[in-house]
Amino acid sequence: MSESLYDVVIIGGGMSGLMAGIYLAGKGFKTAIISRGDPVCCLSTGCIDLLDAGVRPLEAIVDLPDGHPYRLVGKKGIDAALKVFRDIMAFCPIPYVGSARHNREILTPIGTFKTTCLVPRTMEASQGCRDEYLHVISFAGIRDFYPSYITSKLPNTGFSLYDAGVSSTLAIATRFEEAGFVDEFCTWLSSLEIPPGRVALPAVLGLVNPMAVMEEISGRIGRDVFEIPTLPPSIPGLRLFRTLKKSFQDRGGDVFWGKPISSVETRGNVVEAVTLAASGRPSRVQGRAFILATGSFVSGGLYAARDAVSETVFGLPVEVPGARKDWFLNDFFTHGHPIEGSGIEVDASFRPRRNELENLFVCGSILAGSEIMKHHCGHGLALATGLKAAISCERALP
Amino acid sequence: MTFEHCMRCTLCVENCPIYKVEPRFPGPKQSGPDAQRFRLDGEKSVDEWVKYCCQCRRCQVSCPYGVDVAEIILKAQLKYGSEHLSPATAHLFANAYHFNKLGSTLAPLANKAKAWPVTKGVLNLFGVSRELDLPEFRFVNMERGRRRKGKGRKVVFFHGCHLGFNRPDIGRKVRDLLVSMGCRVVIPTQTCCGLPALGNGDLDIAKRFAQKNAAVLTKYINRGFDVVYACTSCGLTLMQDYAGILDVPGGRKIAENTYNVYEYLLPQMHLETQGGMLGRLESKIAYHIPCHLRALGIGYPAAKIFEMIEGLTCHVLDDNCCGLAGTYGFKKRYQDASRRLGVIAAAPLRDLGADAVVSDCGACRMQLEHFSGLPALDPVEIIIEAITQKDFGRDVPAKGWKRLLNYVT
Amino acid sequence: MGLFLSIKTDVIIIGGGATGCGIARDLALRGVPHQLVERGDFASGATGACHGLLHSGGRYAVKDPDAARECIIENAILRRIARKCVEPTGGLFVRLPGDSKRYRDEFMASCSAAGIETSVLSPSKALDLVPSLNPTLEEAISVPDCSIDPFRLCMLNAYTSRHRGGGILTHHEVVEIIQEKGRCVGIKARERLTSQIKEIRGRVIINATGAWGDKVARLAGTSVPMSLSKGSLIITNHRLTNMVINRLRPPSDGDIIVPNEAVCLAGTTSIPVPDPNALEIDPAEVDIVATQAEQMIPAFGTTRLIRAYTGVRPLLKPASPSGDGRSISRGFQVIDHGNGMFSILGGKLTTYRLMAEKMVDVVMAHFGIKAACRTAELPLEGQDELSGYPLSKRLSSMDDIVCECELVARHTVEHAINTMGTQYVGDIQHRTRLGMGPCQGGFCTYRALGIMQDLGRVSPEVSITILKEFLQRRFKGIRPALWGDQLREEQLIESIYLGILNMGSRP
Repeated sequence: MSESLYDVVIIGGGMSGLMAGIYLAGKGFKTAIISRGDPVCCLSTGCIDLLDAGVRPLEAIVDLPDGHPYRLVGKKGIDAALKVFRDIMAFCPIPYVGSARHNREILTPIGTFKTTCLVPRTMEASQGCRDEYLHVISFAGIRDFYPSYITSKLPNTGFSLYDAGVSSTLAIATRFEEAGFVDEFCTWLSSLEIPPGRVALPAVLGLVNPMAVMEEISGRIGRDVFEIPTLPPSIPGLRLFRTLKKSFQDRGGDVFWGKPISSVETRGNVVEAVTLAASGRPSRVQGRAFILATGSFVSGGLYAARDAVSETVFGLPVEVPGARKDWFLNDFFTHGHPIEGSGIEVDASFRPRRNELENLFVCGSILAGSEIMKHHCGHGLALATGLKAAISCERALP
Repeated sequence: MTFEHCMRCTLCVENCPIYKVEPRFPGPKQSGPDAQRFRLDGEKSVDEWVKYCCQCRRCQVSCPYGVDVAEIILKAQLKYGSEHLSPATAHLFANAYHFNKLGSTLAPLANKAKAWPVTKGVLNLFGVSRELDLPEFRFVNMERGRRRKGKGRKVVFFHGCHLGFNRPDIGRKVRDLLVSMGCRVVIPTQTCCGLPALGNGDLDIAKRFAQKNAAVLTKYINRGFDVVYACTSCGLTLMQDYAGILDVPGGRKIAENTYNVYEYLLPQMHLETQGGMLGRLESKIAYHIPCHLRALGIGYPAAKIFEMIEGLTCHVLDDNCCGLAGTYGFKKRYQDASRRLGVIAAAPLRDLGADAVVSDCGACRMQLEHFSGLPALDPVEIIIEAITQKDFGRDVPAKGWKRLLNYVT
Repeated sequence: MGLFLSIKTDVIIIGGGATGCGIARDLALRGVPHQLVERGDFASGATGACHGLLHSGGRYAVKDPDAARECIIENAILRRIARKCVEPTGGLFVRLPGDSKRYRDEFMASCSAAGIETSVLSPSKALDLVPSLNPTLEEAISVPDCSIDPFRLCMLNAYTSRHRGGGILTHHEVVEIIQEKGRCVGIKARERLTSQIKEIRGRVIINATGAWGDKVARLAGTSVPMSLSKGSLIITNHRLTNMVINRLRPPSDGDIIVPNEAVCLAGTTSIPVPDPNALEIDPAEVDIVATQAEQMIPAFGTTRLIRAYTGVRPLLKPASPSGDGRSISRGFQVIDHGNGMFSILGGKLTTYRLMAEKMVDVVMAHFGIKAACRTAELPLEGQDELSGYPLSKRLSSMDDIVCECELVARHTVEHAINTMGTQYVGDIQHRTRLGMGPCQGGFCTYRALGIMQDLGRVSPEVSITILKEFLQRRFKGIRPALWGDQLREEQLIESIYLGILNMGSRP
């Protein structure tokens, strides 16, 4: 058995876990993140959705049901969390723009607009793109991006196809980081005769430093350029995750990746350690406090068996909306399938409410009542509750 | 049956280095869980493209649902290998151990010979890339300089081929470090861990190697020894594959008693550092985490030791595969993919302005040194240097990197 | 209402299931002009919603010896003529602890009487053949059951018809049966997307619409006695057995498991329903089938189910109504309505060819033509690409895959679109297996529609409507079996359509 000891052990390496980790490691706590695999934020648009409720999302928080985690965090807490996030990203190659006070819109690959809050700078010019001519660039053979969806929905648009020699979004993004490619691409782009306006591309402008790529293209053609998020694999999602993970590691945080937790040890009301199932020899990770940020069903924090829903690490009691036949509505497109409300209930300090564990804090989409798909509040909720749980945890540590 | 847990989320695809640069590889999801539904017992394999996977295992580490992506692909590679005639390169690299042994015995001659155009030409005919230099052979290899006695914990050092034949100097430093921490170190006769054979589709040869090693290691473990490795690829093979796909007798026991050298020494170093064991080392290093260290799931213990060294800034980089992947990048067929990955992995090292790149893996070091132009070191070289600094006394001003390089070379 | 188009033929076949397609092939081989009209795609009724089991007859041997005899004869014929869509898996009847030994003896005797070859296997021999079987089994009896692909079967039958002067109209719903002087002389059919009406005139109309038989008969002012029974099935993520597995006991819920392509199908239930269009599946049905299948193959308890589906059996109404659809004979019947319309009712997939033969014999007699049936001798012609086995052959190339679950390449999809000129994404799915894997088209339908746009087959506006319809229909099948891994994946797919693409609506 390998042993290690931390002040705080965070279970789950997604948005909420990373946010908590960055905060606590930044405060000098010896912090570790344990993650069974990569988080689903790698599949997201990379944008921070706060709340899909008009232009002033913070003002709409009070309209949410009482049990919603945002109500526990409060307006100030949410605003603060998004500021912290933006400050973290400001020192990275992919700065974010926006504030919790205002929602904005971005164009989706199917030609609809989606409400979100903070966006990477590479998507900044998506806002207001329907007010002028928009030219969409796509790539030959690309599987999940069909510009005709967009051009059919927006009247003042056109598109062109570039043959990058490769057709997966990841391969194209890799090409954008290789010497000479941006130049080739810009030469082609400049040769097109397109009406004045903006240029949009699927989000493939490099994995590491998309701002540099975007600025070069934008400079060369003298237009605003922006990225349109794609279906998974999502390059903006991957950038977001890698940047946050690096920020955590740069603050001295440790990561244990790719191994599941096989058991947890508690004594009285205190969680003492978790054990990771590794090949050969399990490793035991002890902590003075624990943060559970394992996410909902997709991330693996919750598991729905044929007749019951369970929390997968500690076996915490889970709020469930009735029997299986009631988990989903008949209509696929209606927001708010009841199952989305399931999760862990917490008190004001983000400790599980129906459980006596005093050094365990819970954050992210595993929280009961979060209904992320209904409210479009995924990353915002992760950041806000992640920070809140981390602050509670900080206060609880002697 | 882990493939049925696949969610088609593409996290593995996002993490696959080969998929980014090699259009002929359909990616881990399609090669692994997706294809697995169509691989029925008794049907001959036709999935030749599966060979493009370099077995970095990043897909498996990234999968949150417990799909053994890399293992599924490895099994398909082995099945394909057993049913089809393998190319000469596969035989060559599967048996790398024997060539290494020969090369080491004839070291001065072999080193000259491998640089001759005619040798390169012949190797090229066998599918070996001309682009990279093959590693140097050392005559005084590990086998010839074995066994040191300490009084503390009993350790068997599994050095593997690279440290054995090509970099015995690093091997000896690992041994010295263990000894200086009070371990009684034994370096028994050992052979290739078997990974190159696995990676070249030859299960039989891999098993033969593994069985030989397992017999030796088990004997020592039964006498209370711990097995310690420094090469993370050998380590992964010992920890995962001996009990897994290679299924050698004693595999479980070996996995239970085998340690990464820094993982093994970390707690003790932590104590000794408080007593002032490590000196000051004014430098900035980029620590490239080998894919197989990630796959081991033990965290990055050497980075924890670096943290204890005053004056040392260490940047951990774990997002890129170096692209060499053991013997993968030496093959003509893969050399382009390998080179592009090498350039991608080297870029952030240079951007950091690091004095050197550090990595646990010999292949990573060769590749990154080649593409970044920075000196590439093993973690033990940094640690020994820090200890030596201390021996010179805390007040001796460190002259920085140049001194360290002198020591190393 | 669109343009009127008029077609003249001899025989109008309504229904593009196995029976209808079989009749078309039979008529084609006997040189009779005909026109088939189907409201959806081929096999969109009970044919496509069954087990895909080419019965040996064992299942019917005890209760319905006539049906059993028909099955084994047709089984042998189809194994010979339909190699492109039959996988000769072989089947086992497994007897578990507690299952009646007397029934077993009766079963053996009945099989032997019906001419069904059996052999008794010890538990260890059975486990060698199918390692996933319940290890506590008492014994297994092997029979020549096979797996058959109903979509391919229909398409291959239709191929012969198309290439020998027959006409085939899919996605055309019959809205009127034209009667003149008390006789049926033609039909009016409406194209689904364009609502264009086509008028087809013929000398005889054959109603081969299975469960919809009475609805169609009523269009001609007559009726047929039918009893409808819904049977629901589940699909697993991957194959758990390479042989057909039956429970050795009187027919009951969830007692058959059939390997089909890369998955297994298990079912069924039997619930009387009033309307052939009522195809809701209760989650409880899924539990019943899964629990029963689990007794034969324990992995059914833990394995991932990708969806459930249901079909309505077109059974003949028994003289005395009894509750269970299974006790009703699986035989078939040809009804001459005396007004130029004939209905063919009952039967099952395995005997589709025989049904077609008998039906066409009646029509031939009606016309007074003498031409022998040749469908049993000639192998199904055409379309070699429809031959699906061995499964692993799909791994030979992974270039430009569009459907990642079923490994369907872009050029295959383009070929299907170009040769059919279809506007229906479902047509592509049936012909290429696109969207038939674990994600059930969640990822690839969007792509297929994009390709159709690229090829100018549909406009982007229409394709979004089609995509929405498709996702809605898909969800209906997935919803009753949503838990575990499949629930996770569904939430991921939901986050793509409702999140990334923002296609959802507020309640």
